[in-house]
Amino acid sequence: MTSVSRAPNQVMRGLIPYVLLSVVLISAYYYNPTVRRAAQSAAVIGIPVHFLASLPSMALEGMQGKLRPTGQLRRDYAALREHNLILQTRLHRFEFLESENRRLRKMLSATPPESEKVTLATLVAVNPDPRSQTVLVNKGSADGVFEGQPVVDAGGIVGQVTRPGVFRSTVSLLTRENQAVPAQVARSGLRTVIYGGGRNRPLRVLYLDRNADIRTGDLLMTSGLAGRYPAGYPVARITVVERNLAESFMNIAAEPTSHLGREREVLLLWLPDARPLPPGLSSAVPGDPVD
Amino acid sequence: MINVSAAPRRAWIPPVTVLIALVLFVLPVSDPLSGFLPDWVSLVLIYWTFALPARMGVPLAWCTGLVMDIVTFGIPGTYALSKAVLVYLARVLALRVRVYPLWQQSIIVLGLLGVEFVLLALTDLIAGDGLSGLQRWTAVVVGALLWPAVYWMLRRTRHLAHLGN
Repeated sequence: MTSVSRAPNQVMRGLIPYVLLSVVLISAYYYNPTVRRAAQSAAVIGIPVHFLASLPSMALEGMQGKLRPTGQLRRDYAALREHNLILQTRLHRFEFLESENRRLRKMLSATPPESEKVTLATLVAVNPDPRSQTVLVNKGSADGVFEGQPVVDAGGIVGQVTRPGVFRSTVSLLTRENQAVPAQVARSGLRTVIYGGGRNRPLRVLYLDRNADIRTGDLLMTSGLAGRYPAGYPVARITVVERNLAESFMNIAAEPTSHLGREREVLLLWLPDARPLPPGLSSAVPGDPVD
Repeated sequence: MINVSAAPRRAWIPPVTVLIALVLFVLPVSDPLSGFLPDWVSLVLIYWTFALPARMGVPLAWCTGLVMDIVTFGIPGTYALSKAVLVYLARVLALRVRVYPLWQQSIIVLGLLGVEFVLLALTDLIAGDGLSGLQRWTAVVVGALLWPAVYWMLRRTRHLAHLGN
């Protein structure tokens, strides 16, 4: 007979070691940084698979570029030029405001906020894991990408890097259930935290008092608290505010302002090392010797 | 006439089908559709276990799962665990299932994919990802419905490879 019809306990011996091995591997990944680094390096073997999987969408994109009529391309080009011109003008104003802001802050003897360093990363046309809401970008620890790095696009916060590989990294979208972003209502300055709601579900704003000043259409920006996301980037817009007299907290839903990985390019942010202290605080850090 | 028994056995074909399934697994699809696409790797592994139970075993499945974990940037061990359990169960059932008609095989496949689905949902829960993965139960049903097509295609492939038992 074939080896299949063995005694059950003998077959269990064939499975249990592998189950234990998996459990050991999973816990080692959580508790041992060396195992984590090894897994990051091993991710290199995924590159050929990712390349094969991205071929169809790359071919499709190439075809779209070739098939588009010249007239439309010319129109697109003109529109982009115009858009660029508008942005340039706005940028000049922004630069003026920035210098003014720095001057005013100096007068208040507050530390001027340093601007973040950014790197452009392209999304790899691959769905790394359908179980989790992540996207793959073409930058990794070889480019200085680190775990927890904030990722933004033209619309605002996309999410953060959760698993940096050597050449590729996965970015967890902020809609993921275990993600939270400290935020602030742009209109009223009210501070809160935005939680992911899961796939195809709105973001949630929890534990806001019934009397809190928040309305439908309010823009939520990052507050910069907790130090992971820099302050001042748009995160979400409030879509639903439900006040229920029987409950002490409101039921608030929001939708992200960013394109959540549907755009081809995203920006990786590096926060300046010396974080500006809020005005009013001295520059003394607890534990630092003060004269 | 070609002598079938003397035809070369192409043993590299099963691994290539697994690789193709892996590429299909990470293929980007638009969001509403992605919730309905089954785990192709599971289906292919189930087929080869049913067809060649003596050669397809838990160690091979575990290694395939580990490669999947690495390719999908997951926590190493998650898919390895689920694929090992999947192939173990498939192997226990293999000799019985082979004589079943296709629609009955589909029901068995539904059960196997269901067990794997619950296992993956549990590991996600332990990892702190919540239960949002449970929304993807449709993929399990679609996988079972697609089983006859997968079976037919891989059977043709197996005959092409001249792989018997």
